[in-house]
Amino acid sequence: MRPSTWNRRDFLKTAGAAALSTLAAGYPREARAEEDTERIIPTADTMIVLWMGGGMASTETFDPKRYTAYEPGLAADAVLSTFPSIDTVVDNIKFSEGLSKIGQVMDRGTLIRTYQAADLGFILHSRHQYHWHTGYEPPLSVAAPHLGAWIAKTLGPNNPDVPAFIDIGQRFDQGEAEELKAFHTAGFLGNEFGPFFVPNPEEAQASVQPPAGMTESRFVNRNQLYKSLLAQSPTGEFGSEYQKESMLRSMDSAHRLLTSPAAKAFDLSLEPKEIYDIYNTGRFGLGCLLARRLCEVGARFIEVTSEYIPFKYWDTHEDGHTRTADLKTMIDAPVAQLVLDLEERGLLDRTLIVLASEFSRDMLTEGKPENTVKNQVEVPAVMTELKHYGMHRHFTAAGSVLLFGGGMKRGYLHGLTADERPCKAISNPVNTTDLHATLFRAMGIAPNHGYEIERRPFYVTKDGLGKPVMDLFA
Amino acid sequence: MLSGIPCLSRLLCLAAFGVIVSCGAALAQELPPAANRPVDFDTEIHPLLAERCFQCHGGGQSRGGLQMDSRELLLNGGDSGPVVVEGKSGESRLISLVAGLDPELIMPPKGPQLTPEEVGILRAWIDQGLVWHETKTEAAAYVASVTPRRPELPAAKEGASANPIDRFLDAYYALHSVTPSASVSDAVFLRRASLDVTGLVPQPADLDAFLADTDPEKYAKAADRLLGDRLAYAEHWMTFWNDALRNDFQGTGYIDGGRKQITQWLFDALYNNLPYDQFASQLINPSAESEGFVNGIIWRGVTAAAMVPPMQAAQSVSQVFLGVNLKCASCHDSFVDHWKLADSYGMASVFSDGAMELVRCDVPQGETAQIKFLWPEVGRVDPKRSLAGRRAQLARLLTSEENGFFARAIVNRIWAKFMGRGLVEPLDVIENEPWNADLLDWLASDLVDHGYDLKHTMKLILTSQAYRLPSVDTPPDSQNAYVFRGPEVKRMTAEMFLDTLSSLTGAWQENPQFAVPEPPKKKDEQPKPPVIRAWRVNSDPLTRAMGRPNREQVVTRRQSLATALEAVELTNGQTLSSHLQRGAESLLAAPPASPEDLVSSIYRHALQRDVTESEKAAAAQMVGSPVTKEGFEDFLWALAMQPEFQLIY
Repeated sequence: MRPSTWNRRDFLKTAGAAALSTLAAGYPREARAEEDTERIIPTADTMIVLWMGGGMASTETFDPKRYTAYEPGLAADAVLSTFPSIDTVVDNIKFSEGLSKIGQVMDRGTLIRTYQAADLGFILHSRHQYHWHTGYEPPLSVAAPHLGAWIAKTLGPNNPDVPAFIDIGQRFDQGEAEELKAFHTAGFLGNEFGPFFVPNPEEAQASVQPPAGMTESRFVNRNQLYKSLLAQSPTGEFGSEYQKESMLRSMDSAHRLLTSPAAKAFDLSLEPKEIYDIYNTGRFGLGCLLARRLCEVGARFIEVTSEYIPFKYWDTHEDGHTRTADLKTMIDAPVAQLVLDLEERGLLDRTLIVLASEFSRDMLTEGKPENTVKNQVEVPAVMTELKHYGMHRHFTAAGSVLLFGGGMKRGYLHGLTADERPCKAISNPVNTTDLHATLFRAMGIAPNHGYEIERRPFYVTKDGLGKPVMDLFA
Repeated sequence: MLSGIPCLSRLLCLAAFGVIVSCGAALAQELPPAANRPVDFDTEIHPLLAERCFQCHGGGQSRGGLQMDSRELLLNGGDSGPVVVEGKSGESRLISLVAGLDPELIMPPKGPQLTPEEVGILRAWIDQGLVWHETKTEAAAYVASVTPRRPELPAAKEGASANPIDRFLDAYYALHSVTPSASVSDAVFLRRASLDVTGLVPQPADLDAFLADTDPEKYAKAADRLLGDRLAYAEHWMTFWNDALRNDFQGTGYIDGGRKQITQWLFDALYNNLPYDQFASQLINPSAESEGFVNGIIWRGVTAAAMVPPMQAAQSVSQVFLGVNLKCASCHDSFVDHWKLADSYGMASVFSDGAMELVRCDVPQGETAQIKFLWPEVGRVDPKRSLAGRRAQLARLLTSEENGFFARAIVNRIWAKFMGRGLVEPLDVIENEPWNADLLDWLASDLVDHGYDLKHTMKLILTSQAYRLPSVDTPPDSQNAYVFRGPEVKRMTAEMFLDTLSSLTGAWQENPQFAVPEPPKKKDEQPKPPVIRAWRVNSDPLTRAMGRPNREQVVTRRQSLATALEAVELTNGQTLSSHLQRGAESLLAAPPASPEDLVSSIYRHALQRDVTESEKAAAAQMVGSPVTKEGFEDFLWALAMQPEFQLIY
């Protein structure tokens, strides 16, 4: 059962220290009457972003081109895809080999092949990821909120016992970690709307349990002492205070989260073994399972990342073919199962799944064909070893985005890319701002929805100018 | 007043006016009669309005949505409709209100009721067509001037505090009908002062000595002692200045040389109490140790024109040192204040290697920016000078005694740090009207007179009667015009919270990123674990949740209200849990105390008061007898979660 009747107001009444904080001088407030947002009928209540951090090569995944098998002496400029293509359940959509399970559910979704990442003058993964997640390019004089924070702030949680913005799978202790931290925040919207981090889905349960080593009964006793000392504290004599009230409310809502029946969703050990095993391709797969469980109890926005670590996962600077085969194994079963499970539970119609990456990859072009940037990867013109075989440069002129459920068309292909290098968009390109406008619209938020900070408006899409791609909606 | 306050409290006011609507016209026959003669606006009406109405409805104030600054505004009425009907005083709600027909709601709400004669004069004025003349006595729109002002210090009242702040405030209280409350207890004073100056609660021995001291000068002595603890002072104020100067051990840009720390320079400046004009100068025209601030943060790739490093320098310098927000005007002429694109580029050009081209909303204008200080009347920067020469000139202009905003901005920040709210709000819009311009300007000129010694201004505040007033807790959405009645309730920062916990247990942070001078060891002293305060370590999930900013942007005030995510981190996060475990271990390593004694001493140290018997019983039971480590951890947690622990009353 999904408690869908909770609305923002209930949350603010119960959990919402935020209500007070947002009203405060210098804190953000709604920028203006949002007539557009009022009129939009949302097609989704929940969003799940499946993040392919590091740059997922579309020609190796959802937009396969001519396949050339590896042999020593192969010229780099002859290779467009390093895998053969396979059929999906949709006639005009082919995938790269290794994604057959997602291919089997493609009739539930929309595929954009012409996503174009911004030109930022240089390829820096974290900066492109910052842009994808906020719509703004750093450095910024005002901290931009993450997509999930915009949604948490504007819509509140679906269920007040479940944090509105949950971020699964990203750790912040390796290269570019600070750059990642800079956009995994609610920015100027304030901490209340920031991410609830679950770095490791297998340990998700710990994030809603008493601290390690503390028994349940000790946890309860400790809270009782807190309440008892509170009741006896002479601070009552200072009268009513909003600072104190905000503290007490926040403690109550934290305690409610930790003791709520919804908290069981974090416990993957409660999942039947056969289902767990389908998802268990590693951290990412289990993240998808956790996302599904959280959807069932009323999460609002969830991001599951394959995790961005420089030169790891999708950031294939060499040995791209071999590594991409593994990466496809990592995502194929869990993504397909997520779609099927949500469908089976009647949740897919109101849950928008977005699978995306900051940009695509190519063997030769760095950036855009007409606007190349400094090469960061040495690519030999003639391959002599298997490790040369793969998409090792960063390509921003076309990439793939998959959308399932949440009011999007089913079995629909949007945009065409060239069949010869450069495999750039040749029809219906979609930039980040318009992609965001589309996602926000599905959630019922107008692209010019915004909040005022330091007396100036800050919009969910840059300058409020995003245009939803209406062709994508069913 | 601040713009941008939404309608929660306006609704409350509106509801109050709603009551009035129903009874006004119906009871018209009970009103005092209108004066039977022509009335004069200038000599009869305006003085009456000014004295009895304008405090809430004049000078831009609009309680209940009603403004009376002009005839037109008066006719516009309030949130619930018109208040005057031209020519018909009997149907004008204003009249029924001031006549006091509804004993529940009489205007004005304070002071004596209007006399029947006064009501009659107002009725006649309405009946005779609401004649309105512009008068000189109407509050002119406030215009902040760059020229410093040196208001005369009011004479101290007989028997009242001679502290200059109190001398200004005594006049202010009289004007605003405020009766100052009795001072807080000495224990509350010392907690406040210790936390505000050093970020730590008082040591029990210091508290005892202070309470026992009968010298009337003991408040000044306490201020001197706290301000004189240069290490504790510097460590506490590092947090504030790191936020403002966006300096940290970690952050974007460091990975590839796009950013540089100024930690050592900043610590030394605070430790040595570098005069503030030199402090600013050394950041604006920096050495290798202090250049990180104006160099800004550089991400690889193309940067939008409004965020190129010289523009970042213009924004940061203006915001931090002048209380001027150039962010809007970095992209186009500002819509919300008078700053122009050319002003931002004028400042940015000081920091630019070559001439800058004006770019408006990402479109180059084909026009070269002219180098310029924000207030050209203070002086100019010579474009022919070298980069270092221009920065030196800017530093001189900015810290010049002709530039009133430099000193105003910092005394306003200090006032806000101690009193919870600035003399001008927001802190970064210094050109807004202060609630006491004389006090602001006097404090600013006094700072200049005292060699820009910030500790001098701090001591003035600490030794004022105003600082010892009971705290008030003004909701941030309050629609009422702000009236100073005492310091606002403040909340400890993440750093203060952790340091206070550490000072109770002796378990400090681990993995410091910076070395501070070690205090001299006393003879025969047992070796103690090093005091590593929270500012010296990298941010972690706990400190971030409690509001330590990531320092990618200038932050001059942290958000202090508690959030649910923060409470989750406090309740089950591993960071605090480990800290408490180490704390319990550290404290229990000492010779065992009875649970009651342990609880009593912790209470007194943490809250500067004796534990009550019932608190002691509950806590001692948790602590266990003999004391258990787990029980003690849980007691510490339950205590640390108390508003009384985390708030500064």
